Amino acid sequence: MSVVLKSLERAVLALGWIARACVLVLVLLVACNVLLRYVFSWSPVGLQELEWHLISPIALLGMAYAVHHRADVRVDFLHERMSRRAQALVDLLGAMLTLGVGALIAWLSWPYVMQSYAMGEGSPDPGGLPYRYGLKAFLVLGFAALALQGLLDAVRTVMRLAQERAPA
Amino acid sequence: APALVRARSRSAFTWRMTNAYGPGSPFYVQGPGSPTDFCKKVEEMSGGRLKIQHFAAGELIPALEGFDAVAKGMVEMNAANAYFWAGKVPAAQYFTTVPFGMNTQGMNAWLYHGDGLKLWHELYAPLGLIAFPMGNTGVQMTGWFRKPINSVADLNGLKMRIPGLAGKVYASLGVAVRLLPGGEIFPALERGVIDAAEFVGPFQDRRLGLHRAAKFYYTTGWHEPTNVTELLINKKAWDSLPKDLQAIVQAAAQACNNESLAWCEAVNADALADLVANHGVRAAPLPPDVVARLKEVTADTLEAGAKADPATRKVHDAFMAFRKKHESWAAVSEKTFLFL
Amino acid sequence: MSLNEWLAIGMIAGFLALMMIGVPVAIALAVSGFAAGYMGFGSMLFALLPARLYGVVTNYTMMAIPLFVFMGVMLEKSRVAEDMLDTIGRAMGGLNGGMGIAIILVGVLMGASTGIVGATVVTVAMLTLPTLLRRGYAPTVACGTICASGTLGQIIPPSLVLILLSEIVGESVGTLFAAAFLPGLMLATVYVIYLLLLGWRRPHLAPALPAEERERIDRRTLGRDLLRTVVPPLLLVVAVLGSIVGGIAAPTEAASMGALGSVLIALWARRLNATLLRETLHGTLTITAMVFFILLCAQPFALAFRGLGGEAMVHSLFEAVPGGEMGALLFLMALLFVLGFFLEWIEISYIALPMFLPVFQAYGTDMVWLATLVAMNLQMSFLTPPFGWALFFLKGVAPPGVTTRHIYLGALPFVGLQIVALGLLFAFPQVATWLPKAIGW
Ligand code: NA
Ligand code: NA
Repeated sequence: MSVVLKSLERAVLALGWIARACVLVLVLLVACNVLLRYVFSWSPVGLQELEWHLISPIALLGMAYAVHHRADVRVDFLHERMSRRAQALVDLLGAMLTLGVGALIAWLSWPYVMQSYAMGEGSPDPGGLPYRYGLKAFLVLGFAALALQGLLDAVRTVMRLAQERAPA
Repeated sequence: APALVRARSRSAFTWRMTNAYGPGSPFYVQGPGSPTDFCKKVEEMSGGRLKIQHFAAGELIPALEGFDAVAKGMVEMNAANAYFWAGKVPAAQYFTTVPFGMNTQGMNAWLYHGDGLKLWHELYAPLGLIAFPMGNTGVQMTGWFRKPINSVADLNGLKMRIPGLAGKVYASLGVAVRLLPGGEIFPALERGVIDAAEFVGPFQDRRLGLHRAAKFYYTTGWHEPTNVTELLINKKAWDSLPKDLQAIVQAAAQACNNESLAWCEAVNADALADLVANHGVRAAPLPPDVVARLKEVTADTLEAGAKADPATRKVHDAFMAFRKKHESWAAVSEKTFLFL
Repeated sequence: MSLNEWLAIGMIAGFLALMMIGVPVAIALAVSGFAAGYMGFGSMLFALLPARLYGVVTNYTMMAIPLFVFMGVMLEKSRVAEDMLDTIGRAMGGLNGGMGIAIILVGVLMGASTGIVGATVVTVAMLTLPTLLRRGYAPTVACGTICASGTLGQIIPPSLVLILLSEIVGESVGTLFAAAFLPGLMLATVYVIYLLLLGWRRPHLAPALPAEERERIDRRTLGRDLLRTVVPPLLLVVAVLGSIVGGIAAPTEAASMGALGSVLIALWARRLNATLLRETLHGTLTITAMVFFILLCAQPFALAFRGLGGEAMVHSLFEAVPGGEMGALLFLMALLFVLGFFLEWIEISYIALPMFLPVFQAYGTDMVWLATLVAMNLQMSFLTPPFGWALFFLKGVAPPGVTTRHIYLGALPFVGLQIVALGLLFAFPQVATWLPKAIGW
């Protein structure tokens, strides 16, 4: 059981690694684009598009990563007054809903990506980047990863509940 | 904006129209001959049998998502410019404008009575779409420059906000093309992040405040001698309309195509006079040798695009053939008249 | 009321309930939106969702979020920020509330270089919250000051809100930037006065350095420390602002100058290494993703609100208002404030404004003044519990000891101050309308 959990977790973290790399590329790319344009009056359309293309992997692949690291926002003032068991039940609810929302949005996004793929969509600007469906595919990938993270959290919470119930 | 209402399949139709332009924009959203005016006309002409709810960009979906939404039948109509879809259907840009192509009279002649509209429908049919012209800005302006352009060499190293095909043409003359969202054009031009920016025409440009950021206004947009607003319709929805409602939609679109142009001609005349008289704007065409060079490069760029895509080839050749015919007529009619 | 209108109300209630028991805010938004939308509408509505989500993650202006967050995390992890604030604290000497005032000034400077609320709040919070708490500030005061400071960027140009408003009211972006400048400074001044009063009347909430520590301060060392620790981060903000003013970078891309600069400063402080870079990337990713997670999950909610006729309800309310232009204005202000409890500002601007604009056009209301009022009001909604973007974003980066309760309580006095500033702007429209006329924008 825990072997499966561990490897699924590694998948979420691997996507997070990609997103982290994108952050670094974004910082360097935007700064370089500004300086290249200012100093050499050189500003290729493709590199400009790449700037905002990088927001997608950062935002979408980062979601599951943030949830994994408990960096998402929760309102805690009732939560911290609850019993441990009630807290666990709320966490379980949150995890199940995360699973549901992630799966639903990934499912809703699939036809949107395929529509773009069917048209071979690229940038409308000459010199822009091709394969826009690749960019759109992060919607599916990111929310699927979120669903996976919800599943992992749900399983862990159930295990925690079971452990607490079992006589010491 | 109205509440979203579920489509009802009685003899009355309630449709939705999305728009690539944001709430409040004159011409693109509201005012005479605009998409909301179109919706109102259709409702009145049909005695309320076809109601179209209008959603500006961002109200239902973001600006450039209308094409996919209409193709999937999630909304029935979208108002935009066909050249926005160049990344999906490269030939679509010929149905908005062609650099050094035809003016509005020629464009309308081609669309309605050349093969234009037929080719447009042919292009969109496999995608489950049909389109009609629904508006026109008339000729647009070359744009706002912080420094005068006296020769082709002045273009080299110039930083300019200009999207699309024209951007590619400028780029091959050494212009650093900067893509910027509408809201950032003003601050960027004002501070000199860019040296020049293209937007629409005197009325719309003044609304954006571009004259406060740059004083040299180059006129007669070689890159957009006309600019057609596209009424995009889901083909299945279109086919489900009875013949009389189809006729009403077409008539309302034609009326808007006419009225929006008339409105633009009137307000642009006022705005340009105001810009020159009260805001120290220097309005002039680009020098002839610069235009000549741009024309050469444009021909090569268009040819390269046509080579890359068979559908574009077909539309390109038809457009150019019509233009040749229309040019010789325009030379003895409009052109001669304007210089009388 | 129709069934759909009840559903819209149920959706808001459901969201608040889920959020309050401790379900992640983003998930609470999405779940209530989906549930109400599917009940009221079936599946048609949410077929449009991917287009909206794609719009959020490909929005050029949003690029400033990761860039500014990177700058903030880098300064925090390399402890440059901590050194800076400690030095400022010492330089403020015996002035109670002094560090709070310094943070408002940082907010003004940050605000002048970006216009996205998420970016400024998290950056200011990361830079200042740990130090403020260590220095004995009450968590409520610390949180309130940071949220207020971080939201100043909305009203001080450049600003995303102003850009959108300019589109909607049909005034040029430049005019609105000029119009919002003085009201922004006025608001910051109101905050500073409040902190001075607080430091005077309730020194234990915003204490100066303890006397014995102050005695140990040697003026010469302090001067050197100021140069060493305060100047580099300040230069960074100047670099961002300077690259906009100097015409090197457009407002959004200027953020990259700050990000790059923070790397150089860490390098200069001899603290740049692989671990620092790894930690910075981790911090930037989690915080950026936290912001986007909420923005993305707000989309089904917003879509359902529109689909269920939420704005028709708003509209019918408006039609019942008496009192002419003033009545309409006051109602608009109250309405924006209430909508701010559960809708995000983009949605509010799209729903409330275009609908009411014709009314004000008919009254001949000054559109520049109106837009500035609206911008101020929207900025207040960022701070209003229980659903204020600034509050959530602060929660996302706050250390474990800081609770939602601290943040909510801390924000309240600043909401009051904003009402005061809004009242001033209401009574004296010249604060907004004078500058654009004076400089000919
Ligand atoms: Na700002
Ligand atoms: Na709020």
